[in-house]
Amino acid sequence: MDKASSRLKVLALLVVLMFVALSTRLWFLQVLATTKFQQEAANNSVRFAYSEPVRGLILDDRGHPLVKNQESLEVRITRDDLGSDGEAVILRLSKLLKIPVHVIVQRLQTNQYYSYQPIPVAEFVSPRVRDYIGEYRDLFPGVEVVPTSVREYPYGRTAAHVLGYDGLIHADEYDKLKDKGYEQTDVIGRTGLEQVYEHYLRGTQGVQKFIVNSNGETIRALGVRAPTAGDDLHLTLDLRMQRAAERQLYDGLLRIRGTPTSDRSALLKANAGAVIVMDAQTGAIRAMASYPSYDPRWFVSGLTKGESSYYYDSPSAPALNRAIQLGYVPGSTFKSVTGLAAMKEGFASMGGYYSCPAEYTHPGDTSGTVFHNWTTADIGAMTLSHAIEISCDTVFDAFGSQFYDHYVQNQLNDSGLLLQNDLHQFGFGETTGVDLPAETAGLVPDPTWAEQARIGTDGPKLFPDGFVPGIDILTMIGSSYVQVTPLQLAQAYGAIANGGHLCRPHLVDKIVDPHGDTVKQPEDKCSRTIPYSPSELAYIRAALGSVITGGTASCTFAGFPTSQVWVGGKTGTAERPPYQDTSWFVGMAGKDANSPKYIVLAMVEQGGFGATGAAPIVRHVIEDLYHLPETHGGGCGGGDL
Amino acid sequence: MDMVAGRAWADERRPVRHIDWVLAAVVVALTSVGLVLLHSISATVPDEAAFWLVRIMKQGATAGVGLIIVVVICSFDYRFFKVYAGFIYLASLAALVLVKIPGIGATDPSGVAQRWFSIAGIQITPSEITKLCVIVMLAAVLSQIRTPEPTLSDVVKALAVAVVPLVLVFIQPDIGTSIVIAAITVGMLIVAGTRLRHLLILSVVGVLLIGLAFQLNVIQDFQVQRLTAFLDRANAPEDARYNLDQSLVAVGSGGLFGRGYLQGTQTNLDYVPRQHTDFIFTAAGEQFGFVGAMFILLLYALILWRAIRIAALAKDPFGTLVAAGIASMFAIQMFVNIGMVIGIMPITGIPLPFLSYGGSSILVSFAAIGMLESIHMRRFT
Repeated sequence: MDKASSRLKVLALLVVLMFVALSTRLWFLQVLATTKFQQEAANNSVRFAYSEPVRGLILDDRGHPLVKNQESLEVRITRDDLGSDGEAVILRLSKLLKIPVHVIVQRLQTNQYYSYQPIPVAEFVSPRVRDYIGEYRDLFPGVEVVPTSVREYPYGRTAAHVLGYDGLIHADEYDKLKDKGYEQTDVIGRTGLEQVYEHYLRGTQGVQKFIVNSNGETIRALGVRAPTAGDDLHLTLDLRMQRAAERQLYDGLLRIRGTPTSDRSALLKANAGAVIVMDAQTGAIRAMASYPSYDPRWFVSGLTKGESSYYYDSPSAPALNRAIQLGYVPGSTFKSVTGLAAMKEGFASMGGYYSCPAEYTHPGDTSGTVFHNWTTADIGAMTLSHAIEISCDTVFDAFGSQFYDHYVQNQLNDSGLLLQNDLHQFGFGETTGVDLPAETAGLVPDPTWAEQARIGTDGPKLFPDGFVPGIDILTMIGSSYVQVTPLQLAQAYGAIANGGHLCRPHLVDKIVDPHGDTVKQPEDKCSRTIPYSPSELAYIRAALGSVITGGTASCTFAGFPTSQVWVGGKTGTAERPPYQDTSWFVGMAGKDANSPKYIVLAMVEQGGFGATGAAPIVRHVIEDLYHLPETHGGGCGGGDL
Repeated sequence: MDMVAGRAWADERRPVRHIDWVLAAVVVALTSVGLVLLHSISATVPDEAAFWLVRIMKQGATAGVGLIIVVVICSFDYRFFKVYAGFIYLASLAALVLVKIPGIGATDPSGVAQRWFSIAGIQITPSEITKLCVIVMLAAVLSQIRTPEPTLSDVVKALAVAVVPLVLVFIQPDIGTSIVIAAITVGMLIVAGTRLRHLLILSVVGVLLIGLAFQLNVIQDFQVQRLTAFLDRANAPEDARYNLDQSLVAVGSGGLFGRGYLQGTQTNLDYVPRQHTDFIFTAAGEQFGFVGAMFILLLYALILWRAIRIAALAKDPFGTLVAAGIASMFAIQMFVNIGMVIGIMPITGIPLPFLSYGGSSILVSFAAIGMLESIHMRRFT
């Protein structure tokens, strides 16, 4: 024991080491790493309870609500919570709701949602159902009945493609949006304006902040923020015009279906079509109809099997908005645009005369390619205006040759592709920027495209010799390869009508918040211009006027009171093998030819001649716009293009 | 020496004049801190305020009883314990055996361990008392050595004394107390002058025995899980990590000066399991921060300083060894408990002296202080 005091020093040293270890670690935890732990402590104890905002309304230009909200008692099932007795629960629910088991199962069998996400299986159930399930909670594990605000469409199918619909947020969307205030049970705009303006329509969810203990018991409430309703969309769309456009499109399709094809081998199918009414001066869309259509109310109450297979799988593709989501060959409606381009490049002039032979061959072409006019007669020399009026193809074929030759001579510099550049100036080959989703850009054929184009997806080259003169020649008459959307064509005609402003087509006039303040209005709608003189544009408008009075659409517009409402327009019949021809008419209407107010366009898939298929639809829509009595033109024969 | 001077001399050496007031003051301070922390845990837990009030009063009453125990024990001459060391030791072994007998010992709510007697609603944990009994017995054995340093047979004899209660405690199972007994033994062997070579052999044997214990599945699953959770935190199951995670968040979020009394969300919202017993230090770390934690460490440092000083000043080897054993006990309990709370030691159920809620632990700590005082007071007699 003599060494006790020195051995006590050893013990003391060990104790000192303990204190050093503890102090060092405490310094690290409490001084160096404290920020991280403070964050974790905050995450631990703060809980949020969210309340959903009311979605904004969608109103037409006069304030008619096109989309409203209504209360629905919704039955939701969380698959994870169904328990081992899930089948019995669903059977019980089926009896209570009087919905077949397979319908409930079908709605549950989805991989769009997480298994811990409540899935709606029935909407608009009675309060009795809610009370019953609430009372016998043990019999219905994983089942809840919650009041929700769902969409209401006072005018049913009207403007379905434009308005769009909502749907429960998908699993992958939720992953992306959960930081932006979305909950698993939230709906989100799926298509149309509902999708594009989701950010405005949604509103801000209300938040109640709680401090909770480790058992989840609330200790105290911190802040409350009430939900803010979404902003209302005030549209340029006019309910009356929209309904007129839809009715005239539908009536027109039925009428066309009774008429034979040009070779009289079959009746026209007229299976689909689109009508656009646009303000020529501003680009404001007053009506946009697409057929076939669907009923957005299906998505409120959940699609039945039949509705689902029709909407998603039927070959008629009712989900497509044909005004913007498909590219079509424009036919002769394109001649107003290509005629202006020919004037701009000096290939045509207002005073010039151009021959309209029955056949045309590109000068120097030895391949034997011959382009035919729509008639076998040689009509002789005519002005550009008259060529538009009677839609002479060979006049435009010759302009196409000149565009091609210019390209060949200037291949190495950027100015070679005059026709393509001019068409892009008119907005073709690019989306218009309309406030709707999934717009297509169409196609302006150019050398790059000609190099890559193939027959079928992986077939041989469509143009083994590359960019041949026929491509420009056919583009001049709007045939074969060029593709436009109805809205692009309406936009280009709008520029011709308003003196050269390429106005971005748009549907929303203003967005108004719940306080009544305008939060957004479209800007720079007409900032782009096309480089044509007022006299050139007036010249084309006059030509379009003579189409109605003495040209290809004269019989269709026979008896139309042009003294009251000036109308100009252009027919188009686009071959689309193996289908029947696409029928087009682009009209403009107003007080006079100087500043037409409306562009009215109709396009009918497999609708035959423009003059007989689409033009009468445009005539009747214009009559509706101007409150004119509905009248009918003469029986137009074939031969109009 | 005349009578007056002799009386004065004797008077000077009267034990009551040599109370270690520093030690007494630190113990009172630590106990007060414990009550303050216990109150903070209970203050904002809803519906349990009354329940917690009972706990605080119980803890306060226990501390009161503890002070009486200090007075009683220090009024005895500590050498009294040397005389009765054998009886004390055997009695504690008997208690450890009895507690394992069904119907006599009480099983804890989890059903895993059987560690205490329940007498008139008061829980008595024999393993806590065993710690002091082992100290007394070891001190009695080691103080008999007449050679300058213990021979191997002395060391084995001392080990035999320690191993029997250690095994009995270990199979309860109470790994925490086993660790404390082992540390006490090592600490006392060091102070007794054991050769370094013997200590090394001892540590090798110890490691082998621990390995054997794992091999023979003597160690309970939850204890293995705690250990793996400590060694491989990232891959540990959520349950095994939870306590440590919450404890680290609590201490770490305290920062330099703490979040303020009753302002700690981890503590006050009851996120740290067992925060009134083994994890009481989290309440201090969160509410009073690094400064508060260091203050508590300072109080323990003062206790250990006084204990080692008493060991150095003691009149005889028995006193030195008892004081060194008590110093070892407090040191290892403080280190393992705070170490596990801040993640540098695995989680074992070792209470923090004077702070953790629990009667037996508090009373044994006070009894140890009483023995320290007794040794200090009689260093001249």
